Amino acid sequence: MALGGTGPQRGTAAAAAANMRRRRTGGGGAAAAGGAGGTMLQFYTDDAPGLKISPNVVLVMSIGFIAFVAILHVMGKLYFVRREA
Amino acid sequence: MGGGFRVLHLVRPFLSFLPEVQSADRKIPFREKVIYTVISLFIFLVCSQLPLYGIHSTTGADPFYWMRVILASNRGTVMELGITPIVTSGLVMQLLAGSKIIEVDNNVREDRALLNGAQKLLGILIAVGEAVAYVLSGMYGSVGQLGVGNAILIILQLCFAGIIVICLDELLQKGYGLGSGISLFIATNICENIIWKAFSPTTINSGRGAEFEGAVIALFHLLITRTDKVRALREAFYRQNLPNVTNLLATVLVFLIVIYFQGFRVVLPVRSKNARGQQGSYPIKLFYTSNMPIILQSALVSNLYFISQLLHRKYSGNFLVNLLGKWKESEYSGQSIPVGGLAYYITAPSSLADMAANPFHALFYIVFMLSACALFSKTWIEVSGSSARDVAKQLKEQQMVMPGHRESNLQKELNRYIPTAAAFGGMCIGALTVLADFMGAIGSGTGILLAVTIIYQYFETFEKEKASELGFFGM
Repeated sequence: MALGGTGPQRGTAAAAAANMRRRRTGGGGAAAAGGAGGTMLQFYTDDAPGLKISPNVVLVMSIGFIAFVAILHVMGKLYFVRREA
Repeated sequence: MGGGFRVLHLVRPFLSFLPEVQSADRKIPFREKVIYTVISLFIFLVCSQLPLYGIHSTTGADPFYWMRVILASNRGTVMELGITPIVTSGLVMQLLAGSKIIEVDNNVREDRALLNGAQKLLGILIAVGEAVAYVLSGMYGSVGQLGVGNAILIILQLCFAGIIVICLDELLQKGYGLGSGISLFIATNICENIIWKAFSPTTINSGRGAEFEGAVIALFHLLITRTDKVRALREAFYRQNLPNVTNLLATVLVFLIVIYFQGFRVVLPVRSKNARGQQGSYPIKLFYTSNMPIILQSALVSNLYFISQLLHRKYSGNFLVNLLGKWKESEYSGQSIPVGGLAYYITAPSSLADMAANPFHALFYIVFMLSACALFSKTWIEVSGSSARDVAKQLKEQQMVMPGHRESNLQKELNRYIPTAAAFGGMCIGALTVLADFMGAIGSGTGILLAVTIIYQYFETFEKEKASELGFFGM
């Protein structure tokens, strides 16, 4: 398993765990891939106190937002058509 | 700075209001990750087609036209801001932290949390600010035309879209998805563009009868309808002002070249000090900084364009302003294009013929691209913490040594490769961008380079994920 070689290979599970940990701490994970690229594009890799939401909530929220804008369009059309008529 | 007060602590009161995706408390299976990634992508795509409610018009020159490629934004849609807020805030924060203007100790948990919070807060603030600026500057029609209610609704939609992008990106990065949301969105936007230019079924009438916009469709259409097949072929391959088959082939060629170069690397053997016989390798890629040089370069150029365009509109007579850039509206798209000054010389020549006509312009452009990319690449390794010193420190922490070298020599040895790889790799990226631009590849050289490097990173992630999955099953 090519881990980018920054960690000694101590069995697969340990290596995978190390891999996970490194990815979570950011920075080092990207560098382990042998490059500095993408480090800027990796924010929010650590846990922070805040309004905890689960991933499904994010998805539902986004779909709700899309639906809301779509309904706005529909309402706008109906409302304006009626007023002009 | 120093003392008890630190800038980062200003963020603390806001921390509890910022939305935060829970970290995965279990290992997410590969299949589930793919599903999360696909759904996020789907949401992003829908958002970038859904028009904003309440806007009046989106006509007129678009001052952000040059930034749209790297910012994954679409005009007049909910994704008007695209990833601008996150990227800008991330860039600002990293530069501040990298240049030690705000002190962050990466080993302290709280500091990392505060930095993340600060980034997110700044991102949301930028989204709000930009939304207000867009509406007030009359991008969608003047506020009087829109009405106050609609104006507020537009601002709300833009802000919420910004927050959604931030959450989606966080969701993907916290281990529920593959790679980072931002790069996924950029790559998708560019690929969408390329596919559209190749297969678009819209017809455009440019004086010679209706023509299909998509290069491949136009090729078949011309071959079938024209009687003179040779002329039809020539038309399909070389037509101007619409995507042609040569552009498409150039795009494919650039894709292949970049992927070929991605494999170039120097592998340094390393050995663990603790466990005997454990060999590893530390690969140093030719594209050490990957696509960062072009992201930074295009950020610089698009900001310069933006400022120059604004100045030119207000004070077009001024000598200094003209030195910075002269702009003219293109007859085809109504888009402002630079025709003089610095802005002109750092824009890619539009074709090989244009290049032959203005050799100085071409030369200046090449020199500018190569040096800017090399310079940004070298700066970036310092800022992002992947310079020889940082890598040496990292390896030392993991008790790795290079066989045949003393421990103190590690940094010197790395220094032989890393700065060279960064500078030369940056230059190569710049050269490939220039090549793509000269061949007229679809979606600008910068766009293609970004897309290819991101897609390549994705392939690497895929492979790694699969390997770790197999490792788990193999136990």
